[in-house]
Amino acid sequence: MRDLIVQALEHSSADYTDIRVERRWRTEVVYQREHLHNASASSEVGGIARCLVGGGWGIAVFNSIDDLERKVEDAHRIAQIVSTKLPETVELAPVAPVQDEVRVSLQKDPRTVTLHEKQELLKSYNDILRTYSDSIVTTNARYTDSFQEISFANSAGTFIVEERPDVTLMLAATARDGEANIQTAFEQVGRAAGFEAAEGQEHKAQAAARRAVNLLAAKPARGGSYTVVLDPLLAGVFIHEAFGHLCEADFVFKNARLQEILQPGRTFGVKELNVLEDGYIPGLRGNAKYDDEGTPRRRIHLIRDGLLQGFMHSRETAARMGATPTGNARAISYRFPPIVRMRNTYIDRGNASFEQMLEGVQNGIYACAAFGGQTELEQFTFSAGYAYEIVDGTIGDMVREVVLTGNIFETLKNIDLIGNDLQIYGGAGGCGKSEQSPLPVTLGSPHVRIQNLTVGGRAQ
Amino acid sequence: MTSERHAADLLETVARQVDGAEVYELHSLELPVRFAFGELESLRSVETAGRALRLIKGGRLGFSTTTDLADEVTLLRNALESAEFGDAAPFQFPEEQPAADVACFDPQVEWLDEEKLIAMGEQIVEQIKAYDDQLQTEVSIHKSVQRVRLLNTSGLDVEYPRTGLAISIEVTRTREGDILVVYDSASSHRAEDIDASVLAEDIIRRLRWSERVVKAESRTMPVVFQRMGTAVPLLPLFSGLNGRQVFLGASPLAKELGEQAFDQRLTLVDDGRLDHASRSAPFDDEGVPTTQKPLIEGGLVRQFLYDLKTAGLAGAQPTGNGFKSGPSGGGFQRPPNVAPSTWLVTPGSQRVNEILEGLNEALLVEQVIGLGQGNVMAGEFSNNVSVGFLVRNGEIIGRVKNTMIAGNVYQLLRDQLIALGDEPSRVLGILHVPAIAVDGVGVASRG
Repeated sequence: MRDLIVQALEHSSADYTDIRVERRWRTEVVYQREHLHNASASSEVGGIARCLVGGGWGIAVFNSIDDLERKVEDAHRIAQIVSTKLPETVELAPVAPVQDEVRVSLQKDPRTVTLHEKQELLKSYNDILRTYSDSIVTTNARYTDSFQEISFANSAGTFIVEERPDVTLMLAATARDGEANIQTAFEQVGRAAGFEAAEGQEHKAQAAARRAVNLLAAKPARGGSYTVVLDPLLAGVFIHEAFGHLCEADFVFKNARLQEILQPGRTFGVKELNVLEDGYIPGLRGNAKYDDEGTPRRRIHLIRDGLLQGFMHSRETAARMGATPTGNARAISYRFPPIVRMRNTYIDRGNASFEQMLEGVQNGIYACAAFGGQTELEQFTFSAGYAYEIVDGTIGDMVREVVLTGNIFETLKNIDLIGNDLQIYGGAGGCGKSEQSPLPVTLGSPHVRIQNLTVGGRAQ
Repeated sequence: MTSERHAADLLETVARQVDGAEVYELHSLELPVRFAFGELESLRSVETAGRALRLIKGGRLGFSTTTDLADEVTLLRNALESAEFGDAAPFQFPEEQPAADVACFDPQVEWLDEEKLIAMGEQIVEQIKAYDDQLQTEVSIHKSVQRVRLLNTSGLDVEYPRTGLAISIEVTRTREGDILVVYDSASSHRAEDIDASVLAEDIIRRLRWSERVVKAESRTMPVVFQRMGTAVPLLPLFSGLNGRQVFLGASPLAKELGEQAFDQRLTLVDDGRLDHASRSAPFDDEGVPTTQKPLIEGGLVRQFLYDLKTAGLAGAQPTGNGFKSGPSGGGFQRPPNVAPSTWLVTPGSQRVNEILEGLNEALLVEQVIGLGQGNVMAGEFSNNVSVGFLVRNGEIIGRVKNTMIAGNVYQLLRDQLIALGDEPSRVLGILHVPAIAVDGVGVASRG
């Protein structure tokens, strides 16, 4: 494989060429109610070649590695077409060539654990979900593992082989009361680790089932404006979706107006607000020693002491904005070129205790976990997985259908307290951007309190 | 590749060791082109191939996939391991049945080369720029030519080519204190169905209507869902009418077959044979001929969607809805699952203007954030209106911001339907739907 890649690079007459070849092993096990919906193992091999010619990118994707040289030629041909259409040519910020081999050692390499063992483990969780209560009508339990071995090489002399493991667990229960009251709750696990990360998660199955049943009796939230305390998971989803994506440089690097709004040094929140983007925290899903352009990982501040600090970059965006590449050029697989993506993104710990956050809140909402979130630039919405009323400084009844919405810039400024209890989560899904989804990432935060946040709801 | 074994040879090898088997093979040539910030960003040439093997052994189901067509040893070993303890197979692989002739290949798409695709994108960018040169325009154009091969040990042997052309446009208007994102997309098997200039023109129409921002009152009011907005009331029905969710007991419609669960003006057809529609094909991905059938007729629930497995479990007939991709994607790596074909809602008789003129005050909703979040299964929605307009007596007053709409789809489509528009739009490559006007939607606004 190495020889094939080196040879193809030597043959290329493009200004810059890189080749990424991926081998991947995956398994998936899915239970729905008492049915094993899927249990399968798959293998995949594929590659992508990128050529930069006259300042334009050409890209070729393929499964047949034997065709590598022909594919590099194809990428070259496309780059020539593209280069004639560009008003501004692409340049790449410098990254020192590197030769490295990054192997991982896992407690239980999922490739050596039998499918049967994985199925048995998931079945045990599914049984907990199913039998928790008569109100549980169905379940959805999913285990996945993936092991990637990525070879990356470029015409500047870089050759990296990196292994990336990933294990996820999703445990969902659906409870029902009568025809119309149907409630789902779930818990997730996601680690850059071996099979062991999926073991010992019985408490998660119990938590999901218990919550689904409890949600049946919860009342829908009343729409309006509230003081909202976000739990670390929902705050993490919030910072990733609503703010993190804005700090991906490919979002702003050609948009002068957005650059005015996102001016480094501008105040985005209270002095205690720090947002970090880190390429390596042991065991976390967003980890990669090198990104998919061969740039070594860095840890950067997006917000430092309340002030906007900087952006995440690829080599292309860094060159355009006069910055240094940050190791954020990532691709979900060989089928796609790397684009600017997050890795492990979180709000750093503050000083407030949870009790302090509740103090003096007459009529608030404590919103936890997330069903999902979506943003369109400054506008965001998030659905809490579950929530509680805050009444006169204490946690009250459970409420459901809590959807938070607002403007990111106003909302960041309305964060008035940041907790001292940072937690970082790697879910079972991942991040989506343009056509690339899901990419393993993590997100996190301590508890945070936000003033004057809009909650949508049917009951007015 | 010389070492690549043909699907038929693989099936023959496998057949000796199992009770039944199915090989699905997909070869794709794709050309995705992207424009960002009004400039050509990237062009990719994608040539991929993959194979999925599903088998039944000892009455149990096994599944595996690979992209390495030369390595059938690993593929077979993985599938057999999966079958050792797999779920009981409640079906047999089907024999080949006569299927309708469904148009899903267009040589015009096959002939589109890099230069032509780039020219299409440039034209869209120019059209938007001519309206306002301060806008940020992103365009994706995706051309594909695929060959699907499906064969099984019951004698089924199906092969067909299909083409695809998809365009999406996203335009961002950035002003201090107000960022507006408007997007649209279209997809088809056939090139002539994709009129990029019409798509761009409609985006410009929404931008024009958005010049003035107004505030809606927080209260319950009528909402007219139009174009992409119609996904709000229809998306939960993907789960509700899915035979698997019915069988599992999670669908609110589980006990409503033959019952009047919706307003009698509502008729919804799932059509797997609609010519050129991007989800149409002669067969589904299990070799069952696709069908055209009403799921809701005059408000009565008539039919749920089934693949082979779910039909077997539920004691129902497969409906030709076993697909390897759902509304949100998939691929040969996925086992077949219940998924909709194209959904057609029978139009009403009123034009959208007339419907709006008959309403004192209403929201016209065309695009939302947060689709599919929350308790979709129960039919609950709660969305931020990203492109929506306040309308008084038929007159567009302006665009609303920081506004949430919330309600329950099942309740709205049963008790609160005002009217259906007379002209269906193609939306998200899956819906052919007229405007849907309902009363009693919760609106909460701020700012």
